[in-house]
Amino acid sequence: MINIADLLKQPRVPGNYFARDAYVRGDLELGLLENRRGDRLLALPETLIQAIYIGLEQETGQASRLVLFNCGRWWGKNFYVRFCEEVSDYYGQPVSEMEMVEFIQCLQQCWKSHGWGTFELDSSYSDQGFLVVKIANSLFAKTAPKSKLPACFLEAGILSSFFTQLTGRELHCLQTSCESLGSDCNRFILGLRDRLQAGNSMVEEGKDHESIMSQLSQKNN
Amino acid sequence: MHPEIEALLDQAENRFLKPEEITAFKRQAAILSQRLKIYEFLRDKEESIFQPVANKLQETFPDEKPEILERTLKNWLLVLRYCAMAMLLNDRNFIEQRLLDWLSGIVEAHQTHKIEATVCQLLQERLKELLSEQARAILQPFLDQAESLILEPDRKK
Repeated sequence: MINIADLLKQPRVPGNYFARDAYVRGDLELGLLENRRGDRLLALPETLIQAIYIGLEQETGQASRLVLFNCGRWWGKNFYVRFCEEVSDYYGQPVSEMEMVEFIQCLQQCWKSHGWGTFELDSSYSDQGFLVVKIANSLFAKTAPKSKLPACFLEAGILSSFFTQLTGRELHCLQTSCESLGSDCNRFILGLRDRLQAGNSMVEEGKDHESIMSQLSQKNN
Repeated sequence: MHPEIEALLDQAENRFLKPEEITAFKRQAAILSQRLKIYEFLRDKEESIFQPVANKLQETFPDEKPEILERTLKNWLLVLRYCAMAMLLNDRNFIEQRLLDWLSGIVEAHQTHKIEATVCQLLQERLKELLSEQARAILQPFLDQAESLILEPDRKK
């Protein structure tokens, strides 16, 4: 017999922690944007991201990809810790006890509320040891300098760090489709580095995501 | 702030409200007090609104795990709280901001549409028993909006 009084023991029924109007706060007087926990947020105009890309290319040339990937990795590591703290505090349970679907739902909402675009996780290849992430409306793809290769290095870095910590396995991230190259969204494959090795050359050859996935999944059977 | 009251104040800008604007203001204030009464009723009667819903839900899904039914009931406890607040603020954006995507995503992931739809229906029937027609008419648009956002998210797309 379900007893509503038991369900109402906690006065607060948790909702969407990352709902934009609840999550983004600010102190007008001090000129601060903050999240609901008091961590600082910043609104960045497109032109600043463009300037970062241009500045990096001018100073470091080809290495700018690696610089951005490593920035992403560092950011992802810290982002994971903060994200888990916030989520476990709000929902009143450690992240390890949360259902994966609810955890990912939180991540999706977090991504959206920060204005990073939309985020989707596809775990249909998880039996073969791969996770696929689809990100759309990425500002980094939009402002990337013209190239023949995918350009979301920062996001690839974040994803590799985040999911490495989440899964406890050292995961690398390979981007296989990119909005900057006319794709409908940015696709990233997460997997062990040596499993993704072959994917690098396939991306350089311009193969599409489905072909790459299909080849990578086959290689291990 | 209540949008209509805010609009009146915006219109007035640096002058005092005209007599007809004061009347409009008073009308809005009266509606606000009506909404406040409904809000307080929903708050005070939360448990007695939902217990019969919980009982009927268990009868409808006797083989379903209690944890799953409890989770669905918690979702709709949340929905009613949001609808009550949105009604008080007369702000549909409030529901959209708080519920959009998130709850429908969870329902989709758990594949519990049927159970959610049943709770929604049972809740509406229970509110029909407890609220006057006038009160229900004020709350209904917000419940409808929430139902549509959660159970028919593709329609919006």
